[in-house]
Amino acid sequence: MRLAKTRHNISKFAERTQCPTLDSVSAIWARGLVKHFDEVRAVDGIDLDIAPGTIFGFLGQNGSGKTTTIRMLTTLLRPTAGSARVDGLDILDDARAVRRRIGVALQEAGLDDIQTGRELLTLQARLFGMGGNARRQRVDELLAVVDLEDAADRAIGTYSGGMKRRLDLAAALVHRPGIIFLDEPTTGLDPVSREAIWRYVNRLSVEDGITVFLTTQYLEEADRLAHDLAIIDEGRIIARGSPAEMKASIGTDVVTVEVPVADGLGRAAEVAAGVAGVERVQIADGAAVVYVPDGARAVARIVLALDDAGIEVGDVGISRPSLDDVFLEATGHHLRVEEPAAAEGGAA
Amino acid sequence: MQPLATVYFLTVRSLREAVRNPAQEVGNIFVPLFFFAVTVGSIGSIAADAFGIDNFTGFQVPVAILSAASSISASAGLGTITDIQRGYFDKLLLTPAPRSAIVLGRIAADGVRAVIITGVIVVVGLIFRTGFDTGVFGVIVLLAGSFFFGTAYSGFNAAVALRTGSPQAAAAGGLLLFPLIFLSTAFAPKEVFADWLQVLATINPITYILEAQRSLIIEGWNALDLLRGAAAIVGFGIASFTLTFLALRWRTS
Ligand SMILES: Nc1ncnc2c1ncn2[C@@H]1O[C@H](COP(=O)(O)OP(=O)(O)O)[C@@H](O)[C@H]1O
Ligand SMILES: [Mg+2]
Repeated sequence: MRLAKTRHNISKFAERTQCPTLDSVSAIWARGLVKHFDEVRAVDGIDLDIAPGTIFGFLGQNGSGKTTTIRMLTTLLRPTAGSARVDGLDILDDARAVRRRIGVALQEAGLDDIQTGRELLTLQARLFGMGGNARRQRVDELLAVVDLEDAADRAIGTYSGGMKRRLDLAAALVHRPGIIFLDEPTTGLDPVSREAIWRYVNRLSVEDGITVFLTTQYLEEADRLAHDLAIIDEGRIIARGSPAEMKASIGTDVVTVEVPVADGLGRAAEVAAGVAGVERVQIADGAAVVYVPDGARAVARIVLALDDAGIEVGDVGISRPSLDDVFLEATGHHLRVEEPAAAEGGAA
Repeated sequence: MQPLATVYFLTVRSLREAVRNPAQEVGNIFVPLFFFAVTVGSIGSIAADAFGIDNFTGFQVPVAILSAASSISASAGLGTITDIQRGYFDKLLLTPAPRSAIVLGRIAADGVRAVIITGVIVVVGLIFRTGFDTGVFGVIVLLAGSFFFGTAYSGFNAAVALRTGSPQAAAAGGLLLFPLIFLSTAFAPKEVFADWLQVLATINPITYILEAQRSLIIEGWNALDLLRGAAAIVGFGIASFTLTFLALRWRTS
């Protein structure tokens, strides 16, 4: 209550003095964030400005630097260079205070097989200084939110992969943080468990106004959940904006022409590039990807031109630009998704 | 979060883990008791004539206690590594709890387990008529000594675990005590040793810990022995905790 009042007063003061208001302060802010592991430039100069209350998606394939970024922002890893603030607090100078305000679910659900779900959440709450009834209530409430009431008193070792992720999410929320970091929360999960996580994350943002920093290698997840998005590749951010803005930035439709004969691909790209209206052509995965406004009309011209040039054409598709096209445009290759080799956890 | 409260909560968690894994605890106590029985059974009867030790059973009780306490601490090193590998250690580091308190929780749990196992061994000894010269108060001093020895030794294992993150290294670290035990007065008094072994036994802190424990069981109150034993444990503890905190600093920076 008092905090809300203080915020209100500061906002009024800011209006009078024409200062930036509290609301314009980023929940997560970074400048020139770098982490090198010997020769590997895991994160290579990242800037972030994430508005409070948004779901921020950090999209990139395996090894692009997502986890390393999260580990730096959550005070687990010291940056090689650069600076960052979380909820206005410096990650190096105020590390302990930062930890108090954030909730984190790391990529490998960091759990302990021997404790029960309830014990794990209780210990977590205790370590955040929560006591007595408030703690018990909060633990019960969270077990209900993530649908783990029935399994609460079983050893975590008996949980399925999906249940572990849900428990991990609950553990990140115990102390009601204003900002949560979720590192690939759905990787390796079946579609039903994935939907469940998406529902919880959305609710956190909509109902509780929590800022969510979420990494993913799934285009669909980024598209469905994120208000704002950055694409990371080889430690650098190569595109940013809302999913809609990003797709719009392509400015054209996307015509994908498969060319069955591999050595015809280069020529096909050349020929397609010469067709009226075509803005750009890229080669990826055995197909020529043609960026052209009004794809529905252009597709006939493109196929005719290829046919005239004696190039055999396979499947042809027209689509509105997707995040995959944004990724392709920025990196020159499709986003490769790598599922973990073995499913984790025990029986469902 | 208060450091002491953190240590307490994590101690409870580690003890719960031990209770749920009783097979491991049984192994921790069975092996030292086995060696205790074999040593006493094989040379116990000649000890009085050979080294002038009448109560050789009582003489051997501290050896069983130290080896039991050390195998306990080895399993705690493994517990830390499991936490690191599962990512649970990170989850603990992400709380505002002081990081040193997180590590100390496990270490203190080892101290508690060492106390329990010492109690069991003392009882077994009493059954085999070792007696206890310093009485109930002496037992309390012995248990307290085991707590501090257990934490000191566990600190060493925690350091190996934090620095290497490797189960093999942690298991090897747990074996450190065995050469130290053999190079001490574990099986006979120093007087019967060859010169070189006498020198090693004299500089070996384990010798002083054993003598202090023995004085409580078979000799009666002996301030000098107890002080030397306490000094050896404290020295060992300072060394091991220094290594633990260096390893923790290394892991979290
Ligand atoms: N502790 C580490 N030591 C050495 N290299 C690392 C370490 N952690 C990550 N890397 C490397 O840094 C790069 C980025 O890794 P990571 O941040 O885990 O990517 P992502 O989470 O996007 O899959 C990878 O090349 C990875 O091999
Ligand atoms: Mg990762």
